[in-house]
Amino acid sequence: MPVLVSKSLRDYRRSLVGWTVGITAFFALYLSFYPSITKDPELYGRAALAKFPGAMRDLMGGLEDFTSGVGYLHSLVYQLFGPMLFVVCAAILGNRALAQPEESGTLELTVTLPVDRRRLVFERFAALALGLLGLAVVTFLAVWALSSAVDMNVAFDRILAGHTGILLLSLLFGTLALAVGAATGRRGIAMAVVGVVAVGGYVVESMGRNVDAISWLRWISPFHYYLDGRPLYQGFPTGDYLVLAGATVVLLLTAILAFDRRDVGV
Amino acid sequence: MTAVVRTEGLTKFYGDRRGLEDLDLEIRPGEVFGYLGPNGAGKTTTIRLILDVIRPTRGRVTVLGTDPRDARVRARIGYLPGELALEGRERARDYLAFLGGVRGGVSRERIDALAERLEADLSAPMGRLSKGNKQKVGLIQAFMHEPEFLILDEPTSGLDPLVQQEFLAMVREVRASGRTVLMSSHVLAEVENVSDRVGIVRAGRLVAVEDIAALREKAVRLVEFHFDAPVPREAFEGLAGVRDLRVEGASVRCTIDGRPDALVKAAARFTVVHMVSAEPDLEEIFLTYYSEEGGHHARAGV
Ligand SMILES: Nc1ncnc2c1ncn2[C@@H]1O[C@H](COP(=O)(O)OP(=O)(O)OP(=O)(O)O)[C@@H](O)[C@H]1O
Ligand SMILES: [Mg+2]
Repeated sequence: MPVLVSKSLRDYRRSLVGWTVGITAFFALYLSFYPSITKDPELYGRAALAKFPGAMRDLMGGLEDFTSGVGYLHSLVYQLFGPMLFVVCAAILGNRALAQPEESGTLELTVTLPVDRRRLVFERFAALALGLLGLAVVTFLAVWALSSAVDMNVAFDRILAGHTGILLLSLLFGTLALAVGAATGRRGIAMAVVGVVAVGGYVVESMGRNVDAISWLRWISPFHYYLDGRPLYQGFPTGDYLVLAGATVVLLLTAILAFDRRDVGV
Repeated sequence: MTAVVRTEGLTKFYGDRRGLEDLDLEIRPGEVFGYLGPNGAGKTTTIRLILDVIRPTRGRVTVLGTDPRDARVRARIGYLPGELALEGRERARDYLAFLGGVRGGVSRERIDALAERLEADLSAPMGRLSKGNKQKVGLIQAFMHEPEFLILDEPTSGLDPLVQQEFLAMVREVRASGRTVLMSSHVLAEVENVSDRVGIVRAGRLVAVEDIAALREKAVRLVEFHFDAPVPREAFEGLAGVRDLRVEGASVRCTIDGRPDALVKAAARFTVVHMVSAEPDLEEIFLTYYSEEGGHHARAGV
């Protein structure tokens, strides 16, 4: 493994372990409620959920059904909380690639190493991708094991499809943070951009289904390419996922070009 | 032999703030070059341009014969930043091993030997090191891969006097092995004992470059003789190199330019009970030197 990648991963290790434990615990907690919910269909069934205001149901991804395994898993893990936790983790790691060390001053010595600037950005991206992959693999195995344990009856490949989507989505946002950091060197700006795109993108995608005025905006929301294909119900939305991956590549190239041409630490 | 650093019209503006303007500088192989100037003069700006951390607004710079954009050349350079940042839980030893690895490998013995010389603590988390101890880690990483060219931005800041001496000894060893050093400082006294040449920057402009040896020749020295009995003024008048002569009873004070030979021979005719010769203050000469010869230039640059 290239030495800058392994070094970055070593730097991320603590925070990655923390996020992995935290997200796994969060998923486990939600999945452990599932058996008690299936016992009480009156309380959580379709009729009950229909009582929520429409806009709120939209924001929660429709809340169509809670009592089937796939509906429960989608609503509680794959609709909002799972992606958002991953996105926050990815943005933090994406910021640690360039903007944070630049602000603290440690990047100065790094850019004077005999490593091409373009390679530096690429290797920091590779570390981000590997870190998120590790987080995704562990949490995927946890969700799959727990969902079997509580008899959710969700197929392995559907969970894999959902998790792959979360990984691609979070990698996109992590790369967005990295790219804004590469271009500006400011982590505050990078965090703000990720926050606006993530929250705005989610709202646009979830509300836009029923609000015509903003529905066209769904096309530019990253969440559209994760949620619209309903991976937990329908399996891999290959085309949409390729859009996410393609956007990530574009952001990475932007980051490389931007960082290669500017002054560091000014 | 090609210059280690050559700049032509090198200029850097931060927005419309001037960092450095029209620098023409050549650093020769095997020399120790002292780079002096007050705060905000442009020393760090020059160094960052040489290392391609920042890009020039105008002008050119070559390092070891190539464009500093070529990453490979940086393996042959050791760099100590002026504002060294070391942080986190990582131990200095691991960080040094990482830096050494990227630069092509540095043995653990080499790192340990340097750490011992500078009395650096490599096992504590870097975020908890004191300023001086961070500076030692910075020096170790700059020296450890035995680079052809060392660029040290205010290397002695934060170091206690004993460690400063050890550091100067390390610089002399680098020089003795034929390698080149560029070191910046605020005061001449810090670099004069190891430098071959010094350059002074002020307000973004290079105002003087001088040989230390030539500077020493120009040194003005204050000398005092005390005799056992009053001496006649005529005995000391008109001696070569003697200026500002003051004879008061049994004591003689003057300043001498260059060799003290004539003065000593004149004094030897009387009984000397006490003699004082102050070390030449290069700083003063240097400052007067460039306020006279480069003064209008420096002022024009403000
Ligand atoms: N990032 C920056 N943005 C704007 N101006 C800057 C920046 N860095 C330096 N300058 C300006 O450029 C000039 C030269 O600064 P530089 O840091 O090179 O000085 P220096 O000689 O290293 O000073 P010191 O002895 O205090 O370290 C100063 O006027 C400074 O204010
Ligand atoms: Mg400086």
